[in-house]
Parts: sequence; C-alpha cells; structure tokens
Amino acid sequence: MSATSHAHHDEAGQAPLVGSLGVDSRKLGLWAFIGSETLFFTALITTHLIFYARTKAELTASGMLAHLDPKHFLGINLTSVLAAILLASSLTMVLALAASKAKEWQKFRFWLLATIILGSSFVLGQAYEFSHLYAEGLKLAPQFVYEGETVKSLFGVTFFTMTGFHGLHVTLGVIWLIAVYFKVRKFPASPENPMDVELVGLYWHFVDLVWVGIFTLIYLI
Amino acid sequence: MAEHATHDQHAEAHEAHGTRFYWMVGAILAIITTIEVAIFLVKDTIGHELFLAILFILSIAKGAGVVMFFMHLRGDARIFQLVFIVPLTFAVTMCLGFLTIFSNYGGIAG
Repeated sequence: MSATSHAHHDEAGQAPLVGSLGVDSRKLGLWAFIGSETLFFTALITTHLIFYARTKAELTASGMLAHLDPKHFLGINLTSVLAAILLASSLTMVLALAASKAKEWQKFRFWLLATIILGSSFVLGQAYEFSHLYAEGLKLAPQFVYEGETVKSLFGVTFFTMTGFHGLHVTLGVIWLIAVYFKVRKFPASPENPMDVELVGLYWHFVDLVWVGIFTLIYLI
Repeated sequence: MAEHATHDQHAEAHEAHGTRFYWMVGAILAIITTIEVAIFLVKDTIGHELFLAILFILSIAKGAGVVMFFMHLRGDARIFQLVFIVPLTFAVTMCLGFLTIFSNYGGIAG
C-alpha cells in the first residue's frame, strides 16, 4: 500500500474505497449483490409454493393418497434447531464485527470462530436432513415415493433446489468466514480488516435472513 | 455529495450499538422463533387464518430485526437502503402476483 493511500485512511484506520456516491464501493457492491440474491431466492421460494399447492390439490382431486400432504416429509424438529443455529450465528457474527471495530482482536477471533462452527453445524444438519429425506422417498426428481406408491410431482425438485442453493450459500459463507479469520490473524494491523469483516457479516446475515423466509414459508405454513 | 457522506457517517455513528444491545436483539429474535414453533404446534386449535396472520407478523418482525440491527441498514447510507429495498419490493410483488395467478391450485393459504 502506498503512502498516498495511507493518507486516505479514516480515523478508525480503515481504508475506504469511497466512490462518487460517498460510500464504500465494496459495501455498495455487496448490497447490490444482496438485492439480486433477494430476487433469486424469492423466485425459488415462489416456485416451490406454487408446486406444493398444485401437488396437494392434485392429490386431493384424484382421490389418490387423499390424506397425503407432501409436507409430511418435512419435520420441524431438526429445522427448528437449524433455524436457532443460524440465528445464533448471526448474533456471534455481529459481535465479531463489534469486536473488530473496537480492535479487540482476541474477542473478534473467538466470535468469528463461533460463527464458523455454527455455520458448519448448519451445513452438516442440512446434509443430514437431505439424506433422511432421500431415504424416505423425497428425491431431486419429478416424482416421489409415498408408502410404496409413486407420485408425480415437482415438489422434491423445487424443495431440494431451493434449500440446496441456500445450503450452498451457507457453505460459501463459511469458506469466506474462514478466509477472513486467517487473513485477520496473518495481517492484524491491516486497515482493511474492519471492512472485510463487515462485508462477510452482511453476506452472513443475508443468508440468515433467507432462512427466516424459508423456515416460515416452507416448513411452518 | 460531501454533505451526504458526512450525514451518512453521522447516521452510522448514531446507530452504532454496544454488544449488550446485540445480545438483547438476539434474545428477542430467539423468543420470536420459539413463539413461531409454539404456534405451529397449536395451529389446529387457533384456526388457519389466525395462524397465518401471526406467523407472517412474527416473521416480518424477525426479518426486520436482522436487517435493521444486525445488518445495520437502519441509519446506514440511503443508497444501501435503496439497492436492497427496491429489489425486495419487486420480489414480494412478484411472489404475491404469481401466487395469485396460481391460486386455482390453492395458493399459499391452500
């Protein structure tokens, strides 16, 4: 980093890349990305809701498996735990951010590590749920098996696509968190650390926000 | 523009919270989640419409809590609010529109 760019650091020691809008360009870019991701996940959730309602109506109309609600596959015990884990990880993330802004690096490492562990637990829990659902007959295919009978439906496809993409985002978030953890550990004096933490924090909270929507709309309703 | 930046920095500084505040927000969000699950367990006794209404209100409150206090959108620069809230509005409109179009099959409340 040149002497000139050092001169542009603010009082907190950060090196903001302030653009013509008067805000940090990286943060603006991430918010724009989050905006596009909002549309992406809403499309997936909407598609799933439509095919869930369609499957349920068709099963009822045909008289076949009249009492089958495809949601019988989706238990809320494990999902509630996963929701609690992700919520807790959001809290540890914001505590890590607060510690990084206060330059309390020991506290920062503790809270970021806690976030990484909670995020990894979520991914493992979701992998367990997927394997359980596959064993029960719900698959990433335009049909599922219920009590030995095959039911044609896109319920499984839309469910696994939606939750799978969310799980992929959580996994990428964990990788990003790990990268930030080691970057800050190797370069504790870097003025860009607080912004690096803020950016990964924004992404992480968004992933939690998506789960708030999925948990309510897909599992509870 | 410089005035805007100064205003945004002031707003951000104004919204800076201590760790105690974050613990409090986290506790409230945990309580909301617990209530959601509890309501799910007794949904047959309270009726479908009331169940949906309570669940939507709680979920919106939870989502707003995450966005406003954990993502610090409340009090942050207006441009950040714009690039998030505009797509969110489009997304919600799209979702409601498609669910209405496909409501022959029961829609979200089916």
